[in-house]
Amino acid sequence: MKNQVQLAKGGAKEKKTLLVASHIDKRFGMTHAVNDVSLTVDAGEIRALIGENGSGKSTFCQMLCGIYTIGAGEFTLEGQKLRIRNQVEANNAGISIIVQEMGTLSGLTVAENIFLGHEDPFVSHGVKNSRAMNREAQRLLDQYGFGRIKAASMIDQYNFEDRKLIEIVKGTYMKPKILVIDETTTALSQNGRLELYKIMDAVRADGRSVIFISHDLGEVLSHADTVSVLRDGEYIDTVRSGDVTEDDLKRLMVGREIGSAYYRTDYGAPISDEVVLSVRDVAVPGEIHGISFDLHRGEILGFGGLSECGMHEVGKAIFGASWDRTGQVALADGTRINDIPTAISHSIAYASKDRDNESIILNESIRNNVALPSLEELASHGLLNGRKLTRFADQHAKQMQTKMQNVKQFVSDLSGGNKQKVVLARWLGKNSDILVLDSPTRGIDVKVKQAIYALMEELKEKGKSIIMISEEIPELLGMSDRIFILKDGRINGEFLRSPELNEEDLIAKMV
Amino acid sequence: MENTKSNERRQSRFLAFFTGSTFKALLPFLGLVLIVVGMNILTGGKLLTPKRIRLLLSQVYYPAIVATGVFFIMTLGSIDFTEGSTLGVASIVISVISTRLDSLGALAIPLAILGGILTGAAIGAFNGFVHVKFKLPSFIVTICTMYLFRGVCAYLTTETAVPASSAIKALDEDWIKITVTLAVLAIAFFLFQFTRIGTDVKAVGSGETAARFSGVRTNRVKFLAFVAAGALTGLAAFVNVIKVGSITSTAGNQLETQILISLVLGGLPITGGAKVRFSNIIVGTLMYTVLNNGLVMLGFESATQQLIKGLVFLLFVALTIDRKALKVIK
Repeated sequence: MKNQVQLAKGGAKEKKTLLVASHIDKRFGMTHAVNDVSLTVDAGEIRALIGENGSGKSTFCQMLCGIYTIGAGEFTLEGQKLRIRNQVEANNAGISIIVQEMGTLSGLTVAENIFLGHEDPFVSHGVKNSRAMNREAQRLLDQYGFGRIKAASMIDQYNFEDRKLIEIVKGTYMKPKILVIDETTTALSQNGRLELYKIMDAVRADGRSVIFISHDLGEVLSHADTVSVLRDGEYIDTVRSGDVTEDDLKRLMVGREIGSAYYRTDYGAPISDEVVLSVRDVAVPGEIHGISFDLHRGEILGFGGLSECGMHEVGKAIFGASWDRTGQVALADGTRINDIPTAISHSIAYASKDRDNESIILNESIRNNVALPSLEELASHGLLNGRKLTRFADQHAKQMQTKMQNVKQFVSDLSGGNKQKVVLARWLGKNSDILVLDSPTRGIDVKVKQAIYALMEELKEKGKSIIMISEEIPELLGMSDRIFILKDGRINGEFLRSPELNEEDLIAKMV
Repeated sequence: MENTKSNERRQSRFLAFFTGSTFKALLPFLGLVLIVVGMNILTGGKLLTPKRIRLLLSQVYYPAIVATGVFFIMTLGSIDFTEGSTLGVASIVISVISTRLDSLGALAIPLAILGGILTGAAIGAFNGFVHVKFKLPSFIVTICTMYLFRGVCAYLTTETAVPASSAIKALDEDWIKITVTLAVLAIAFFLFQFTRIGTDVKAVGSGETAARFSGVRTNRVKFLAFVAAGALTGLAAFVNVIKVGSITSTAGNQLETQILISLVLGGLPITGGAKVRFSNIIVGTLMYTVLNNGLVMLGFESATQQLIKGLVFLLFVALTIDRKALKVIK
């Protein structure tokens, strides 16, 4: 009640900008984790930050809190540019974070954890006064209502939830101007959550701000004032939580690509009856269960779902790459596919989502990367001819219009899009009949995307079959003859190609 | 103005050359020339005399054979520390079989050689099996088996040194040792350069997961590399036996570090992979032998010799290592 009154007062006041993030950017190797994100947070506001896994929300906050260095751009707090190099400096500047994972250190007492990096007030002449520190920590714990936690005890005695509560004390006792809460509620029981919401409300009432990362959209709508959405590292929009529904948020998170000119435009063509691959009761413990389907000649079969739904594992299972797969994957002639060499020699190709680790050998030449699956065909009487390999690789890399000096160049020098071209070049060279493409256009610019879609259509026309696993709904709708949606490792829906089919239909089966 | 710019450009090109990959590839050859010329000058021309060269070569044969096997393992990005103890055990087997002339007759010597090779191959198979099957890093596996087989070697030679038969010692001829060494190098070169063995081994070294997803039977490749390296060490044991004639518990002592240092001096990146060259074996073994002999000829004490060798080794690793590919040795 008291909080609400204060909130009303705060709302009447002129809005004051507390934090400005301008053009924040971060790359990890080839991954563009945060892409030119700009946003502002007002004083006395609870701002939720949402997005799918890997949308860059945690990375963004960890840059704000000095855990990661800022790639480019700057944060301004109350008009002052932030120059922080680590978490302690961030705390001193008035920013603190409660992290997603365990944020307390084992082997230290509760009090030592709470004052980690801020021991100075308890140190005189280089000697730490543990009793004073314990007393102060206990006072704080009591004040938060966590009196049952003893400041002098080792932190290891407490379970995950209590340790989160201790972390909350640690993150908030010095009254930070900005409190970042990174997916903490999942670790807490209902009571713990209520404690956390109380603290969030108190921070807001005080004219300070909370940045709140959560996957629980219900919680986001009921406890945040405003919601900012990130997708693939890019800033999408900020909305007032009163103006939107959960469905609106979902749509913003999953995304809608503008312009679909490069997808297939044909509809209504029948799928061939000829089955080229049959999958029966395939399961991988903890990943997928009871997956059964047939792949037809000349068919593009799409697989979609949320990132943890198991669809990527389906691709690996078909290619024979999972160690603990059960069930049966068989070609039309009855050949069972249980390992990678059998899959490759029976004309199955696979492009992994994890391109740099599974699809190509980074520290190896384009030549050998393209030639490797085709060595048997390229060898005569077991002998390899270097010039023949070079010619072969050159032909197919050029067919894919790979930007390179020559095929002796190492793949590690190429951009993401060109690496993917090398991956496709090797399977074009192998002339595979069944292509399993996992996230074929991930991290690839529009131009190369277009080329890949055109290639898929061309292959389809030649009678090749394609399994396309994708996290991008427009791509699934635009390219597939048939779409399976996975949820929690099981097939949860099947859709046939149709101009009426829309994103909401697929999303409804994903969540 | 123009002049300074072109000067700068020339300078940066000059710098780029020394940090670039061409220089790294040439470094071992330059190093070999430098060490040979340098040692020859320091010893007052005594290094490059026919007698000395013959002595040098006699020390090259068996390390070159062993290094050829280890070359394949290190190309995989793995490592093997068992060469010394394998050589010891295989030498004992060869010596024992060679003395059974009365029962085996003329077959004694071929059987002794075969026994040595099989012993080495068996030890290699054991290493490879444990490494692949239990997914243990080769580094750990071979350090453990090094102690294991060093123990076996010591046990078999506790009472007395194991003598070889005089018939096998009579084979201590340069032409035999040269033929064996050249044959090993030629066959290995052929396999490495012109069959998919070389491509597969390099692919595993550059990226094991991606190699597996490209259809390389990575486990089989790794296992066979260890078997081959063991077998070659067994063959090298034959060359060792005909030279020394009697096997003590210290046979092959420190051979593993000698081979490791040789290959790295020869320019083999310690991470293995696509950048290895077959020449690494030959250049490296020669360099190590010249360095070793030179230090002896200059009259350094063995402690000082080790110190210098350690520094040279460190310098070469630092200069030749591919930091982009750096990861823990498998």
